[in-house]
Amino acid sequence: MRIFSSISALFKREFQITYRNFSDLMSIFIFFLLAVIIFVFSVGPNKEIFNEIGVGIIWTLILLSNTLSLKKIFQNDFDNNNLILFHMSGLSYEIIVIIKIITIWLFFQIPFFVVIPISSILLNVDFVNIKTIFLSFLIGSPIITCITTISGSMNLLNKKNFAIGSLIIMIFSIPVIIFVVNLTNVSIEIANAQIKILLGIMFFFFAITPWVSATCIKLGLQNK
Amino acid sequence: MLLANNINFKRNNKTILRNINLSLPPNKIIHLSGKNGIGKTTLLKILTNILEPEIGEIFWNGKNIKKNPFEFYKNTTFIMDQQSSNNNLTVKENIFFWCKLFYSKIKPHEIESILEILQLNNYQNSHVNNLSYGEIKKLELSRLIIERKKLWVLDEPYIGLDEKSVELINETIKNHAELGGMIIFTSHTNPEIINIEKLNLDNNAYF
Repeated sequence: MRIFSSISALFKREFQITYRNFSDLMSIFIFFLLAVIIFVFSVGPNKEIFNEIGVGIIWTLILLSNTLSLKKIFQNDFDNNNLILFHMSGLSYEIIVIIKIITIWLFFQIPFFVVIPISSILLNVDFVNIKTIFLSFLIGSPIITCITTISGSMNLLNKKNFAIGSLIIMIFSIPVIIFVVNLTNVSIEIANAQIKILLGIMFFFFAITPWVSATCIKLGLQNK
Repeated sequence: MLLANNINFKRNNKTILRNINLSLPPNKIIHLSGKNGIGKTTLLKILTNILEPEIGEIFWNGKNIKKNPFEFYKNTTFIMDQQSSNNNLTVKENIFFWCKLFYSKIKPHEIESILEILQLNNYQNSHVNNLSYGEIKKLELSRLIIERKKLWVLDEPYIGLDEKSVELINETIKNHAELGGMIIFTSHTNPEIINIEKLNLDNNAYF
């Protein structure tokens, strides 16, 4: 009962803080949509090109938008010792990381389900492909969230260069991008196989993220 | 009872703490003092299992806190020198968050009276970033009553407080010790509390 009270308190707090910083959240999606518009203007009014590269553009921009939310994940709670407070309430660092993963996915990834159709229209992506993007985003977004979480916790060990965190996200996302972007161009059999690989990657990151991030937090606190 | 046995701590190959031994049975108050950078906050973090000592062990009721951290945390409140309340939340929201986080049995009318005693009742719906440093410190110290735990570990609890608030904290610490609680705190001032044991880290310094 005690642990559930602490977990629900953390969820509520994350929701309140995100709601109070709604402009931060909006700036991520405005960045995403503006970047799509810039792509439209820079490539020109060639519908066929967009039909070919539209999915790739959307996924690249999802990735870049995610790096914007990176610093928010642990840094504030680390700086004001709240991570210690959460831990002293009886929650292990692993559980704290799992709560963070869920809240980031809910608050920073779910809204992409609204902006993806808008960007797909702007980029002239076929309706069939929009459904595939949704499916790939459903599997790909938890992976990106886990990678962002690992990167955010690694940043606690690095007081000078925050760009390294963004680089880590990009490097680890390459396999995900290869499989999700390719989903729209392959036959159903190959797509099924790729979805299974993506699910495998997703469960792999589900397994390692809490422990990797918790270790980084503990090391960060030791060196604070 | 909290027992620290032969605590040694190094940071960047520099010895910060060497051979620190202390025991904190019920009804006892320890005042940690010493010059800036001597390792007072570091010792508190070691005593609360946040930092790991190079050598030495800490026991809570005979059990090593490293092996039973959550049993130890159930009985410990650690008020750090930095603000842990969130600036984006109001005073009331922060208090309700702590109540839920620490599964506090405190009743709403008790929260009201704490806020009144701390003279924060007019700021209940104000965001924390609108409070003064002293008010934020008082809000932080309200956790002592909300959490209601046996061991209080306080890092510089008097900083930023006015005379009346200092008296109030002294009274609260004294009452807690009388009721079987244990308190260890750091401070550069000497609080007016009787039966206090002073541990000066200057005598243990190794630079």
